[in-house]
Amino acid sequence: MPMEDTKTLLKEMISVAGLSGHEAPIRQILERAWQPLTDELHTGRLGSLHARKHGLGKGPRPSLALVTHMDAIGLIVTKVNEAGLLHLDQIGGIDARVLPGQLVTIHTRTGDLPGLVVLPAAHTLPDDAASSAPTLPNLRVDTGLRPAAARRQIQVGDLVSFASQPLELDGDLLAGHSLDNRACVAVAHETLRLLQSRKHSWDVWAIATVQEEATLFGALTSGYALRPTLAVVIDVTFAKSPGTPGHKTYDLNKGPTLDWGSNTHPKLLAELQTLARKLEIPFQDAVYAGGHSGTDAHFMQVAGEGIPTAILSIPLRYMHTPVELIQMKDIERAGRLLAEFITALDDTFMDKLQLDDAANGEAQS
Amino acid sequence: MKDIIRQLVETTGPSGYENEVRAVVQKMLKGQVDSMKVDALGNLITRKGQKGQDGLTIMLSAHLDEIGIIATHIDERGFVRFTSVGGVHPRNAVGGRVRFLKTGQVGVIGMEPNQSATSVHGLDKMYIDMGASRRADVKVSVGDVAAFDRPFEDLGQRLVSKAMDDRIGVAILVETMKQLKATPHEVVGVFSTQEEVGIRGATTAAYGVDPDLGIALDVTLTGDTPQAATMEVALGNGPAIKVKDSGMISDPRVVAWMEAGAKRARLPYQLEVLSGGTTDARGIQMARAGVPVGCLSIPCRYVHTPSEMVDYGDVQNSVKLLLALLSKPVKLA
Repeated sequence: MPMEDTKTLLKEMISVAGLSGHEAPIRQILERAWQPLTDELHTGRLGSLHARKHGLGKGPRPSLALVTHMDAIGLIVTKVNEAGLLHLDQIGGIDARVLPGQLVTIHTRTGDLPGLVVLPAAHTLPDDAASSAPTLPNLRVDTGLRPAAARRQIQVGDLVSFASQPLELDGDLLAGHSLDNRACVAVAHETLRLLQSRKHSWDVWAIATVQEEATLFGALTSGYALRPTLAVVIDVTFAKSPGTPGHKTYDLNKGPTLDWGSNTHPKLLAELQTLARKLEIPFQDAVYAGGHSGTDAHFMQVAGEGIPTAILSIPLRYMHTPVELIQMKDIERAGRLLAEFITALDDTFMDKLQLDDAANGEAQS
Repeated sequence: MKDIIRQLVETTGPSGYENEVRAVVQKMLKGQVDSMKVDALGNLITRKGQKGQDGLTIMLSAHLDEIGIIATHIDERGFVRFTSVGGVHPRNAVGGRVRFLKTGQVGVIGMEPNQSATSVHGLDKMYIDMGASRRADVKVSVGDVAAFDRPFEDLGQRLVSKAMDDRIGVAILVETMKQLKATPHEVVGVFSTQEEVGIRGATTAAYGVDPDLGIALDVTLTGDTPQAATMEVALGNGPAIKVKDSGMISDPRVVAWMEAGAKRARLPYQLEVLSGGTTDARGIQMARAGVPVGCLSIPCRYVHTPSEMVDYGDVQNSVKLLLALLSKPVKLA
C-alpha cells in the first residue's frame, strides 16, 4: 500500500524533536525523504527546506508552493535550581494543563537526558495553585541527577521535547506529539509521491518552514526568497472531540478543511473547492476569525510583492499536547486533492485568479 | 567610558524623535568610522572595514530611542494630559518628571485622587503639571514628546539612569566601532530608531544593509532581586548571550559562535532565556530571505523605570567580547 510510505515517514517525523528555531533533526529526515522525489533541494537562510520538482512546461515556469511548517512546540530550560530541578519557558504555545507526569527529553550540549515533568507539592506553591490547573512557572523537570551533576550537564537554553512515542489506534488513527504540523508535512510528501507518476507543467516547491510556532519567519523569508506564483499553506485545525463546541471544530475523517478568511485568495479557494467537488474528494468548509489565520499564510501572502495563498487544514484533536491525534485518511485525501490540482495547472490558470473585475469585463455590465 | 554613557543617557530621545541622541553619536564617531549616513527612518548607519575573502557583512544594532510620553490635551488650568510612547507602566510614572524635547522644560506627573494606597490609575487619569496656573503660560502643544528626566548616577561598579535601555547598548556600539581595528568583515554599526514602538528602525535598516549576520545590543531583565521572576541572569556575571526571547529565537549557530568567542577570549558570559520582550534582532532576522541573528544582552535591573541599573564590568566585557568576535573570520557551524 503506497500510502504506507507516507505513514512510515510520519511516524519517524513524530519521533524526533525539531523545536522552533532548532529544526535540524526534522530537516535531515525530510532531506532524505524528498531528495528522490524532487529535482533541487536546498536550505534557506533561516533553515527552511526548499525542494523543487520541475514541471514539463517551458521555462521560466510558474510555480506552486506547498508550505508546511516542520517545527514543533516544546520547552526550554530557564534555570537549574539548587535541587537540580529545571525551570521552564515555552517554545510556541504549550497547553501546560497536560504537562505534569509527561516524559520528556532534555537536549544538552553533551547528549540527551530523560526527564519527568513534575508538579511540586501543593504546600510549596502559591495559595491558589493547588486547586487550579498548573501553570508553567510552577512546573519543574526532574532528571534524577544530583544537583551538582544537573548543573554541570544542563544549561539555560537547553531544549526540552516530548518523549511520547507514536501510537497507532484502531481505525487508522495516529496519535503523538508534533502531529501539528508534521501530519501536514506528510500531506506535502504524499503530494510529491503522487506527482511522480503524473505530468504537470508547473514547478512545485515543497517548503518545510521553520519557526511557525514562534514567529512565522520561515514562511516570510522563504516566500521572499523563492517568490512562488501560488502558495497552498497546509496546517492543522481543531477536530471535534467530546465536549468541543460544534461551531469551532471540524470532523475527523471527513476530509481536509478549505479555509476562508483574509489570508485566503478567494478565487484560488474557489478553484480548489470546484476541483474537490468534481473529483468527489470530501472536504469541509472552515472559517478563521479575526483576519489572521494563525498559520504561515499570514506572512506568505505578503512576502515580496504578494502571493495568492490558500489554506488547507487537517483536523486534529488535542492540539498542542503530546497526544495530538489525526486520521490518516484525511492526509491521503488532502494529498490526492493537491496532486490533482497541480496536475491541472496550465498556462491560463492565473487568468482565473484575476481580482480586477474591470479586467474581467464584469464591472462594465 | 562612563563619560560617554553619561552624555548618552542624559540626552532626550523618545521613539520617533531621536535627533538629539543621533547627533551626539555622530559627534562621538566623527573620524572614527569609514562612513556614516542617516537613512529614511532616521537610523544612523556607520561602517568600518572591508568584507574580505573570509569576511561577512555583520550588522550590529543598538537602538537610539527611549520610552517617553506624548501630550494629547492641555486644559484651561494648564494641566497636560498625555499617553505613552513605548512601554510606560503607570506605576513608574506617578511622581516622575518629564522633560519636553522641544523646549527642554520639565513637568511633574500627578494623578487624579485615588483612594487606594496600593494601586495606581492608568495613564489616562494622570496629567503633567508644568508649574503654570493657566493654559497660556504652558509652552506645550498637543503632539509634543517628552522623556523621563532623571540624572545619571555613578554608584561605582553599578550605574543608574533613565534610558539605560538602550543607551548602554549605544555606548557599547560607539566604543566597539571606535576601538575596532583589524577585521576581515564589513562591520555595519546601526543606531536604530523606534525600537520601543515595534522595532521599526532596525527592520528597515536590515532590509537596506542586507547583512549576512546580525547582532542586537540591548538590555535584558535579571532574576537577582528579591522575589524576582525566575531567570538566571544576574548583574555582574558578564554580558548575556540570548538563546530566546518572546519575539525571537537566536540562530543556534550564532549562539555557538558567540559562546566559543567568549570562551576563547576568557570573558565571562551568561546564557539568557527572556520570557517577555524582544529586541532589534527580531527585525534583522525577518529581513529579506532571512538573516542568522543573535543578541548580546546587557543585564539591567528595573527596566522601563527611570532608574535602570547596569553593571560597569558587564558593559566593559560586552565591548571586549564584540571586539574579539569581530576580529576573526566567522564560521557558522
